[in-house]
Amino acid sequence: MNKRTLTATLAAVLLGTLALTSCSSTAGEASSSGDSSGTLIVYTNSNSDGRGEWVTAKAAEAGMKIEIVGLGGADLANRIVAEKNNPVGDVVFGLNNMFFETLKSEDAVSAYTPEWSGDVDKSAGDAKDGAFWPLVEQAIVTVYDTNTVTGADAPTQVSDLWEDAAYDGRYEVNTSLGQATPQLVLAGLLAPYADKKGDLGISDAGWKQVQDYYKHGSPAVEGTDLYARLTRDEVDYGVLPSSGITSRDAEYATKTGVISPKDGVPYVTEQIAVINGTPRQGQAEKFIDWFGSADVQGEFAAEFASFPVNEKARAQALPEVVALIESLPKQDIDWSLTRERISEWVEKTELEYLP
Amino acid sequence: MRNSSWASMFRSPFVVIVSLVTLWFVATFLVFPNANLLISTFLPQGQFSFRAIDKLVSSERAMNSLWHSFALAATLAVTVNVVGIFIVLVTDYFKIRGARMLWLGYATTLIYGGIVLAAGYNFIYGRYGFVTNAVRNWFPEIDPNWFSGYFAVVVVMTLATTTNHMLFLGSSLAKIDYQTIEAARNMGASTMSILWRIVLPALRPMIFAVTVLTFLTGLGALTAPLVLGGTDFQTIAPMILTFSKSTGSRDLAALLAVILGLATIVLLAMMNRVEKSGVYFSVAKVATPLQKQRIPNRFANAAVHVAAYVLFVVYATPVLLIVLFSFLQSSAILTGSITWGDFTLDNYATVFGTPAVLRPFVVSVVYSALASAIVVGGMLFVSRVLQKHRNPVTTMLEYLLHIPWILPTILIALALVMTFDRPNAMVGGQVLTGTTSLLLIAYVIVKVPFTLRLLKAAFASVPESLEDAARILGAGSMFTLRKVLVPLILPTAAAITALNFNSLLDDYDAAVFLYHPLYQPLGVAIKASTEGENNVDSMSITFVYTVLLMIIMGFTMYLVYGRGGSSTRRRKRRAGTVTVK
Amino acid sequence: MIRFENVEVSFGEKIAIPDLNLEIEQGEFFTLLGPSGCGKTTALRTLAGFIEPSRGEIYIDGKVATRLPSEKRSVGMVFQNYALFPSMSVRENIAFGLRVRKTRKAETALLVDEIAAQVELTSEQLAKNVSELSGGQQQRVAIARALVLKPRILLLDEPLSNLDAKLRVQLREQLKNLQRELGITTVYVTHDQEEALTMSDRIAVFNHGVVEQVGTPEEIYNRSGTEFVCTFVGAMNRLSGDVVHQLRQRGGTGLAAAKTSYLRLEKVSLHAPTGATAAIRLDGVVAGRSYHGSHSTYTIDSHGSSIRALVPEGGGCPLEPGSAAQLYIDPSSVLQY
Repeated sequence: MNKRTLTATLAAVLLGTLALTSCSSTAGEASSSGDSSGTLIVYTNSNSDGRGEWVTAKAAEAGMKIEIVGLGGADLANRIVAEKNNPVGDVVFGLNNMFFETLKSEDAVSAYTPEWSGDVDKSAGDAKDGAFWPLVEQAIVTVYDTNTVTGADAPTQVSDLWEDAAYDGRYEVNTSLGQATPQLVLAGLLAPYADKKGDLGISDAGWKQVQDYYKHGSPAVEGTDLYARLTRDEVDYGVLPSSGITSRDAEYATKTGVISPKDGVPYVTEQIAVINGTPRQGQAEKFIDWFGSADVQGEFAAEFASFPVNEKARAQALPEVVALIESLPKQDIDWSLTRERISEWVEKTELEYLP
Repeated sequence: MRNSSWASMFRSPFVVIVSLVTLWFVATFLVFPNANLLISTFLPQGQFSFRAIDKLVSSERAMNSLWHSFALAATLAVTVNVVGIFIVLVTDYFKIRGARMLWLGYATTLIYGGIVLAAGYNFIYGRYGFVTNAVRNWFPEIDPNWFSGYFAVVVVMTLATTTNHMLFLGSSLAKIDYQTIEAARNMGASTMSILWRIVLPALRPMIFAVTVLTFLTGLGALTAPLVLGGTDFQTIAPMILTFSKSTGSRDLAALLAVILGLATIVLLAMMNRVEKSGVYFSVAKVATPLQKQRIPNRFANAAVHVAAYVLFVVYATPVLLIVLFSFLQSSAILTGSITWGDFTLDNYATVFGTPAVLRPFVVSVVYSALASAIVVGGMLFVSRVLQKHRNPVTTMLEYLLHIPWILPTILIALALVMTFDRPNAMVGGQVLTGTTSLLLIAYVIVKVPFTLRLLKAAFASVPESLEDAARILGAGSMFTLRKVLVPLILPTAAAITALNFNSLLDDYDAAVFLYHPLYQPLGVAIKASTEGENNVDSMSITFVYTVLLMIIMGFTMYLVYGRGGSSTRRRKRRAGTVTVK
Repeated sequence: MIRFENVEVSFGEKIAIPDLNLEIEQGEFFTLLGPSGCGKTTALRTLAGFIEPSRGEIYIDGKVATRLPSEKRSVGMVFQNYALFPSMSVRENIAFGLRVRKTRKAETALLVDEIAAQVELTSEQLAKNVSELSGGQQQRVAIARALVLKPRILLLDEPLSNLDAKLRVQLREQLKNLQRELGITTVYVTHDQEEALTMSDRIAVFNHGVVEQVGTPEEIYNRSGTEFVCTFVGAMNRLSGDVVHQLRQRGGTGLAAAKTSYLRLEKVSLHAPTGATAAIRLDGVVAGRSYHGSHSTYTIDSHGSSIRALVPEGGGCPLEPGSAAQLYIDPSSVLQY
């Protein structure tokens, strides 16, 4: 049996069993990746909490047949790079600018200027080459529960957490440096200490910050949410992307306070791009034009408490989200340096500073 | 007859075909992709650099984690044997009241594992666990963190990895010739000395085999240390995982994997030697089936009963808790304050409310079933040829087939994607990346070493005269294998198939890079439904999936072990005793 | 029928059989006899085709069979532990070889029933699982399985060693009768000299991979060619130098003084033989007696030897230990090596 028949047989077996269970509407739509028509494969790390289903349904309303492939940020980026000679996905969205810089440097995404390019701040995306375009902005914030910690007790600078003995062991540090958020925290910590002569482009003082940050923190517990730890008084502070606050306050009956340092907090921007080499270039572009448009982004923001980059869509964003984002100044981070160095920084931190 | 002559090996078309197919498989799917990946990571500019070694040696944390992994593996090799042998003895050797129920309790580790298992124990004995809380009500001075670090990891992993003992040591025990025990008793040997001098030595080859598996599990320990290890006891696997995912640091991951792999190879070489030397199986002409032993000393009997039941409770509670927790809100579980109002069907509603929720189950069941059947079917031939023909080529093939034990699954998956993303002559000029077959291939690959090891051991226990008899009656290699040998090792093969199936069912590491977008497997689906910043119910959802998985896995094990109740089990075992005559 | 010509068998460095030459006639019951580890089973397995000799040739029916696969040699074999397939019923075991040859179902059933009747297996036993049979029954199944293909040669590897004494004697006769009935050339391996003597047409005595003697049971027993054969086959008195000296002095001039001397138990008489005889009388003291029902064995201490003698039941009044006794020995029956 040659490989093609093997592949075909396997697909047939999978299909057959799926058809038997008749539980899926897409079961009959199998198509190989080399097909220029058919279902558009959309890669994203932003499919949880019903977002994937929402996008699929809305796209269908707009006459586009898409299949969402959802994976965690780092895994997704790795997969796209690994597949770059024979791409499976057609479009990718939701990864932050750091991951997209990697995809771009690996030639895994190709440039396309969407119809809505005029409605977004180009500098939030790839201003130089237009390889990827911004959709949603998020702040990486340090939070606490105002039920247990009064605003007056909370530090005004994030660095107080490790410099003041009073907070020793009372803030959570996420040690899973393969994930996006902990990497952004690291980038935020190191950003003010860029130094061409320093180790990996960072001065010794910067590395001292990283060391102290992890040394005095309480490592995150696998499988235990930060808010569970806040509620049971295990820690008082922890880091979270801003979009996660609303739902947690509802679930844990907390009232989240946010530390707003005057130097600002790291912001990340989720992007969208066409995957280089897709046979469905036209469909992919159509999807991008649709998904990034003010209408769709506005609806998305209203539904999922996001903060759209598209200025026209911001009107529809939830007021508390807008208020929160506007209260948090943007930290100045050199993204190109970060992109270039982040894996080395992660490696150094992993090897030398993690508890 | 072990045959070392080359001529005899090439005379049989069966052997030639199996050897060629194995060579092709090893070269195409094990050596070529991984060599590709390792060369590109270690020799990025075509030149070897000592960067990775320097980095690791100078990192105190890496060295500590590595040392912890080895310490854990070594500790487990001892503790798992103690607990595992105890379990096997109380369920199959001694007369213990309710042995059947005990067996079911101990068998719970067959149907769940990973993060859920570690979390389950943490919910009971951890800082906020209810045992800890209850004890602290009486003795407030007790450290709430008592169940963490090395001790906790060892305890949990010991309990979690007795699976192999239950399955494989149990069947070896059934093959012991009861007459040897009667003879020893007749000569005045005590229960203990019979155990020490007759029973355990007869089990030695299997004890050794499962010890290697245990050691490997210890080296690769990931979730238990993450959940329970605390800052003092982290192992190397999480670091390997992090580094494998970053292009720049992949050389570190590969180097660490190779270090663990070398330890594995040393152990394997030792195991091969033990396998070669001597037959430990009963040499009785007419073996008598084992009868359960009464423990004569009343005090000892009571103590063994108590220990068996305490262990039963320890084993069974996390499973019950997980089922219970699947009906609770996450916040209630995580904050540790459970009231009647917290019980809900919402978690199940969420899981079953997801469109096409059954689809990933079906995809994973199909993939896992196909992969387990293919790997067991293929390895039946391969292990037979390896066992019959010992020469440098087969020895080399055997070691190469263990590559998937050495490299982490993530690296294997990445290597496959990157190697087969262009037409490859080795697979008939096909592009495999992006097809449904690549994940199947990966699943087959990762299950090769485990399957090979255990099947080889199973073949080794079949007396050679049976093959000679078949041969002189004119049966060819294939016919002998099919009609004479396979029926004898069928119980083992079925157990391996079931274990492979169960472990592939919720795989994430291979699937994440390899799955076809239209066929999302369960592991990815679970991860997708439990990850996400807004997803606060992730733990409950995980529990729901675990309960569903337990049902499937429990059903699989029932198919292999449970059908027809104890009579099948006894009959199978008796069939086994004939083989060791 | 079967010829071993300069056959050498080695396992790696170790040479099990250095140079074997044997000829086995058509229809003969030929036994390979020797202690364990003497190479007899190796010779049988080489003949079966399980082991390839490192040198020399094996001829079957005048044709070279050295490298012929075992299934093409037309040999049936019964293994020491029977090697019955535990996963199959008795009938399936016997039919195995026929099934391999794709014999038609009806014919298979017929052949199996026929052979089962010959080895006295009932139809109920045919339906059973092999593990449900007794040792003796299992042995019959093994024989039936080997014979159902109507081989030209039957190989038996210690087939009776797993059975109890009485059954063994019984099956010995049955096996011999069956062989005679079928006229099949049979090669039988055993370490039991009694089995060899009672069943065989000819015997080859093996020691350390070398054939010490080939001959009929009588030849082997009475005219043992070597010291090993003489001591291994049957019970022997070893005579002290003093006894030999006494015999030489009293007319046994044919005996050499410097050789080792042996004497069969039944060649020693405790009563003066009647008529003209070369028997020489020696004096001794009864040291012990063991009773065997049909006969008694006396041990007489004489001239530094403990000489055992057989006295048939009713062959004279019993001698008490400690009493004086006379031994009568014909010097021509003394074997010297």
